[in-house]
Amino acid sequence: MKLEDHALLDALCGEYIVGTLRGASRRRFERALREEPRVSQRLRHWQEKAPRYSAKMETRPSPRVWRRLEKELGLEQYRAPWFRRREFWAALAALAASVLLILAFIHQVEEPARGLVQIAQLSGTDESARVIAYRSRDGRTLALNATPDMVAGTNRSYELWLIPAEGGDPVSLGVLGALDAHLAIAESERPRLRAGATLAVSVEPAGGSPTGKPTGPIIARGQISS
Amino acid sequence: MLDDGQIRILLLRMGARDAGSAEAFERLYRLCAPLLMGIAMRIVRRSEVAEEMLHDSFTRIWQSAATFDPLATRPVAWMVAIVRNRALDTAASHDVARVDAYEEESLDAFFDWSQGAGTRSLRDCLARLEAAERQALVLAYQHGLSHSELAAQLQKPLGTVKSWVRRGMANLRDCMEGVR
Repeated sequence: MKLEDHALLDALCGEYIVGTLRGASRRRFERALREEPRVSQRLRHWQEKAPRYSAKMETRPSPRVWRRLEKELGLEQYRAPWFRRREFWAALAALAASVLLILAFIHQVEEPARGLVQIAQLSGTDESARVIAYRSRDGRTLALNATPDMVAGTNRSYELWLIPAEGGDPVSLGVLGALDAHLAIAESERPRLRAGATLAVSVEPAGGSPTGKPTGPIIARGQISS
Repeated sequence: MLDDGQIRILLLRMGARDAGSAEAFERLYRLCAPLLMGIAMRIVRRSEVAEEMLHDSFTRIWQSAATFDPLATRPVAWMVAIVRNRALDTAASHDVARVDAYEEESLDAFFDWSQGAGTRSLRDCLARLEAAERQALVLAYQHGLSHSELAAQLQKPLGTVKSWVRRGMANLRDCMEGVR
């Protein structure tokens, strides 16, 4: 006789849930659960009346249990590759955030020492090149920022000149391959790099002026303002 | 508390057996292991034995996930049944360990009455049972006692205890189905 036609089906479901259905009877009931739809339907009917378990029931198992399961079931092969794991991206995002924080901190600390101060704006007669000159706070470096950047090419060089405020011959500060440049200022020139002096860029043969004075056209010039 | 919808999705992802199935299983374990451990502990009473049950049950859950029919069964009840079956089998073969006295704990430690349809009627109907019937049912359910263990525990003849359980169950059903 099938269990689903059993007059005591509800009683069997109840004893199954309570746990007093044991041994062969329990196994028979479980077989019927798989094979007879009305049995599983009736059991579900009763299970749905059961309240949720209380959180007070919970007991934390030792971490050993999971480690053993992971090993015995060979779970590693069913893991998403590292770059698809959510934890990886979460960790990466956290790392990036902390790097940003550190960078911001370093920047804040080092800004006074390494910061650049704009000292002049250089422009040509046709306004084609605009160059902004910066000096580092410690006075050792001069930086040129050109828009658009201009590259001298293989046959020519640019040369940066300082025309002192008190007048006199232009002094070469450096030979440049491109207008976007960083150059070190010789200690002897540092005092002259002050308000009233003029910066100028000339076009020279490759390697710089052969005479020590500007020989080609001046493409940009501007007075140091501070 | 455990949400059947969420558990169902995790079981389906485990059953797929592809990259990500292990993560779904790990998530399921983290969510359900404490409850299943608690249920096993009430029955076998020793944590190393309960952990053994837990291990066996989750092995079974992983292996059955591919064939688990999520629409036919409530997944939490399914997992609870696996653990209880395993624990009941073990308890039956370790009779000696189960001589200590059981207290009839309040069912409030077991269930969260605030949620779930039909909860109220179960609680009210339990309260309306004869004290002996209620005690037999609650002890058997909480600690997985068999009829003979119940008889020993309550110091009553086996036949008496069996009829308490049977009558208690029938009365509970009639009450919950609104027969009386």
